[in-house]
Amino acid sequence: MKSFQYLAPIPRFEYLAPRTLSEAFKILGVHGKEAAIIAGGTDLTIALKERTAAPKVVIDLRHLRSELGGITISKGVLRIGALATFSEIEASPLAGKYANSLREASANVGTLQIRTIATLGGNLATASPAADSAPPLIALGANVTILGRSGNRTLPVQSIFTGPKRNALQVGEIISSVEIPAIEEVRSAWTRAAVRNENVLSAVSVAVATTVHDGKFGASRIALGAVAPTPMLAETASRAMTGSEATAEQAEKVAALAAEDARPISDIRASARYRKHLVQVLTRRLIIQVLSEDGLS
Amino acid sequence: MKGKVRLSFKLNGAKRNDEMEPNQTLCDYLHDVAGTTGVKKGCDTGECGACTVLLDGMPVTSCLVLVPQIDGREVVTVEGLGKMSDPNPVQRAFVEHDAVQCGYCIPGMIVTLSWIHEHFPGASDPEIRRLMSGNLCRCTGYQQQIEALRTALGSASHSG
Repeated sequence: MKSFQYLAPIPRFEYLAPRTLSEAFKILGVHGKEAAIIAGGTDLTIALKERTAAPKVVIDLRHLRSELGGITISKGVLRIGALATFSEIEASPLAGKYANSLREASANVGTLQIRTIATLGGNLATASPAADSAPPLIALGANVTILGRSGNRTLPVQSIFTGPKRNALQVGEIISSVEIPAIEEVRSAWTRAAVRNENVLSAVSVAVATTVHDGKFGASRIALGAVAPTPMLAETASRAMTGSEATAEQAEKVAALAAEDARPISDIRASARYRKHLVQVLTRRLIIQVLSEDGLS
Repeated sequence: MKGKVRLSFKLNGAKRNDEMEPNQTLCDYLHDVAGTTGVKKGCDTGECGACTVLLDGMPVTSCLVLVPQIDGREVVTVEGLGKMSDPNPVQRAFVEHDAVQCGYCIPGMIVTLSWIHEHFPGASDPEIRRLMSGNLCRCTGYQQQIEALRTALGSASHSG
């Protein structure tokens, strides 16, 4: 393993905190590739210490919370600003109602001290295959809105991940928000497996989003984290679940397909074989969990 | 152009204006420059919690915060929670419960537990353990600290 340069000082950089979006894009236009964007900073600060990032300019978005923050609902869409912290999502009744899986994942990212400053936009931009926010968003069919000097564009959440720690952002672009379809009947849940319960990176994470009507699953999506170079939609499993009988037997079949969809590697956190096993077990548990919500409602 | 940044912020209730290089962490600044040596550097990667401080009232690992990020904000360290002559309820209870062994993790632990004391006074034991999972202690096993928090809260252990 790479040794951590505990005593190495962070190299010098110029620090800029634009007051408006247009000022931010102006700065990005000038500094382009030499700039790094800081939201919460929990990933970037470590990268600076480890020298995996060496920007000449660091651009802090903290004055842009009115444009890039907040959790709001409008016209059937739940919008979570890129600067929303995991603590804010964890405490949000709107997130609890329309994106329960994301709320659960947010409550388990890192530690209390990380969740208070780490942001949803930062988690997506870092693009870790194990990003805990990604499977819930992918399962919920969320989109990411990206702002650039020449305009906006929208991508499905899974498309912002292009490889391990690689994202689809062009130079000068920033993530402004995530949009989640706000549908009251959607049941969603998230879970993970890891070497301990807290303060840990997921070895496998799974999210499910579905509806249940007249004993059948409606449109259903299962998404997986840490089992491929990027978080992924389990396509075969999602197709097999959509429109099928809402039963424990079907949960078993869908879970087996999800394990086949997964493309894991072996690493320090788990072997590939064990990861596939975990996908199957966790997927089955989640489907049975969302089925059992009938008993509660 | 790699200039210094001028920052104004509050540290433990006192206003400060400092000009400094941006390429340092809040942890290093607080410990080495500001003299609040209760802020300890453990892992320097945001896992151990020894450097925990309150930033605008919320617990953060100060080793993950770049110092220019605190401009216009308020920082409270363990020194700002109470004094030797007037400790806060959690600090007092730590003494009563012998909740300290080597002591290195304790300032960060007290910051987190004081925040739980203020914001989640009804927390169950599992919830307390979840919230304090970002403060690693390799000596005590955490039980004395939870008992100290219970004493400070005036409540008994419960599992929720």
